[in-house]
Amino acid sequence: MKWFDTDTFREILDSILRNRSRSFLTGFGVFWGIFMLMLLIGGGQGLKQILNNEFEGFAQNTCIVFAGNTTKPYKGFKKGRSWNMEYADVDRIKNLIPEVETVTPSVSLWGKSVARGETVSSSAVVKGNRADYARIETPQMRYGRYINDADIAQERKVCVIGKKVYNELFPEGGDPCGQRIKVDGAYYSVVGVDWKEAGGININGSASETVTIPISLARKAYNMGNTVHMICFTAKEGIVMNDILPRVRKVIARAHYIHPEDEQAMFLLNTQLIFGIVDNLFNGVNFLIWLIGLGTLLAGVIGVSNIMMVSVKERTTEIGIRRAIGATPRQILGQIIVESTVLTLVSGMSGIVFSVLILYVVELGMTTDGILKAPFQVPFGTAVLAASLLTLLGVVAGLMPASRAMQIKPVDAMRDE
Amino acid sequence: MALIELNDINKTYNNGQPLHVLKGINLQIERGEFVSIMGASGSGKSTLLNILGILDNYDTGTYHLDGKLIKDLSEKQAADYRNRMIGFIFQSFNLIGFKTAVENVELPLYYQGVPRKKRQQLAMEYLEKMGLTPWANHFPNEMSGGQKQRVAIARALITQPRIILADEPTGALDSKTSVEVMQLLKQLNKEDNITIIVVTHEGGVANETDKIIHIKDGIIGKIEENFSHAAWQGSAMK
Repeated sequence: MKWFDTDTFREILDSILRNRSRSFLTGFGVFWGIFMLMLLIGGGQGLKQILNNEFEGFAQNTCIVFAGNTTKPYKGFKKGRSWNMEYADVDRIKNLIPEVETVTPSVSLWGKSVARGETVSSSAVVKGNRADYARIETPQMRYGRYINDADIAQERKVCVIGKKVYNELFPEGGDPCGQRIKVDGAYYSVVGVDWKEAGGININGSASETVTIPISLARKAYNMGNTVHMICFTAKEGIVMNDILPRVRKVIARAHYIHPEDEQAMFLLNTQLIFGIVDNLFNGVNFLIWLIGLGTLLAGVIGVSNIMMVSVKERTTEIGIRRAIGATPRQILGQIIVESTVLTLVSGMSGIVFSVLILYVVELGMTTDGILKAPFQVPFGTAVLAASLLTLLGVVAGLMPASRAMQIKPVDAMRDE
Repeated sequence: MALIELNDINKTYNNGQPLHVLKGINLQIERGEFVSIMGASGSGKSTLLNILGILDNYDTGTYHLDGKLIKDLSEKQAADYRNRMIGFIFQSFNLIGFKTAVENVELPLYYQGVPRKKRQQLAMEYLEKMGLTPWANHFPNEMSGGQKQRVAIARALITQPRIILADEPTGALDSKTSVEVMQLLKQLNKEDNITIIVVTHEGGVANETDKIIHIKDGIIGKIEENFSHAAWQGSAMK
């Protein structure tokens, strides 16, 4: 006899529906378990994505070097000396540390106001960058292009403006490329608009309120000589940033007569470390999610097993009658196990469906202008995994009650009156 | 060979103190007989019925049903024999409460793997035979005791078994319906030549059968031929 013909199914449906409220309450345990698990998985993943969005556009293996004041006397210099990095440091890093991929200098000028005709923006940051800065912090060009190598070489008076600056200076919208804006008495042609939002990592001011000009131009326009405010570099694929940082420190320290052990004379901001922390955090969160979710699910399944046990006890007479009129123990076993599996699976599936629905609504809420901020939906594979897990748990839940049912002898039907 | 042949059947229950219930039962029942087994409670008649119905094992001796030795069967085999060779009628009807009359009747066929349509059709035929066609889709708790017992009889008959075993079939019925049920069994025996064994402690019920086997303290006492149905002079069944 087959286990999965319509008759078997009807039998099972019958016995599940006979105790509607009990089946419902039992199933609810499983439903809630899987619902929580799916919701937490989806939510955790979405939150992680949101957090990652904050760092979006940043090369994950970036390090940024700032100069600080020395805290140790060295080679005749007193402590507390302020110093600046210079263009030569870029070459030093590039030449002496082969693990480094891109090295780029940057200068920043704070509290500038930018004007276009009569319109004046709120405070903005003027940054001088090279074209390869784009490999450190990827710009999201809405209009035009980023600063390029020709801009640098020819010291062109061009600029890329951030989203906020654009919104303030060009409230009417449209492509601003070719238009001129004024910063500190000098005019620059807009060549691009960087739509990058202010995120979790802002290097020397948020990208949205930045006016980026060629670094060669900034150097001359603001009389900065050799001074570089920060040097950003990325490590080559597979290099652990922390392994090369001491050497970077040494190379720069030696050139500027800084004590080799003077940690505070130079700030090294290692994004790999930050990403690592976030990753670790979410690994921990994930662990908790699975622990709680599986725990709840397990409690639900144990509930199913328990109720099936009660149900078998209640149906002693019925099972006895079935045995007396010719049901084999195997058929009884099959019925109980399939019953428990169906109960688990149906409530579990509705849990999955319900959580998918809730996550869909969350995603709707997180969507602005048709662009989804972060995917909250559980991956299809996870859902399939959960469904097969449910099947397995349903069978396991049915095992004990089924073995109890198999011990019922047909004589019990007549004895139990 | 007779339809049922019991040879020196012994059965001892070992619940704490060993209890020797059947002490060497020898019995032959031919095809088409209408027999009752009578005895007081504790006489061993229920145990004998359980053994006849392959619901219980015996310790020594042999039991042949329709030429097959029924001994140390696997659960699966026992279930199969019960399903195909034996129809049960119980004192408390033992219908499944959440199934309608027709579903109850077709249940044995379900375990034989008979397709649904065929099953239903056969079940309806047997219900018609029992005069229960209008009640086919009623649940047991909507029926009277007599109707329930007739559903149970239909269920026992549907697999066309070799024997019908009835355990106190009138025990839960009033005297009027008891008569009806016994008449029905009698009619089945006469017209369809079905072998029926009734276990009872009521003389009136036993009197309706053609042969009365008295059992006492685990051994068979006298066997009365009762074709005149005059063995018992009470009034309950008359």
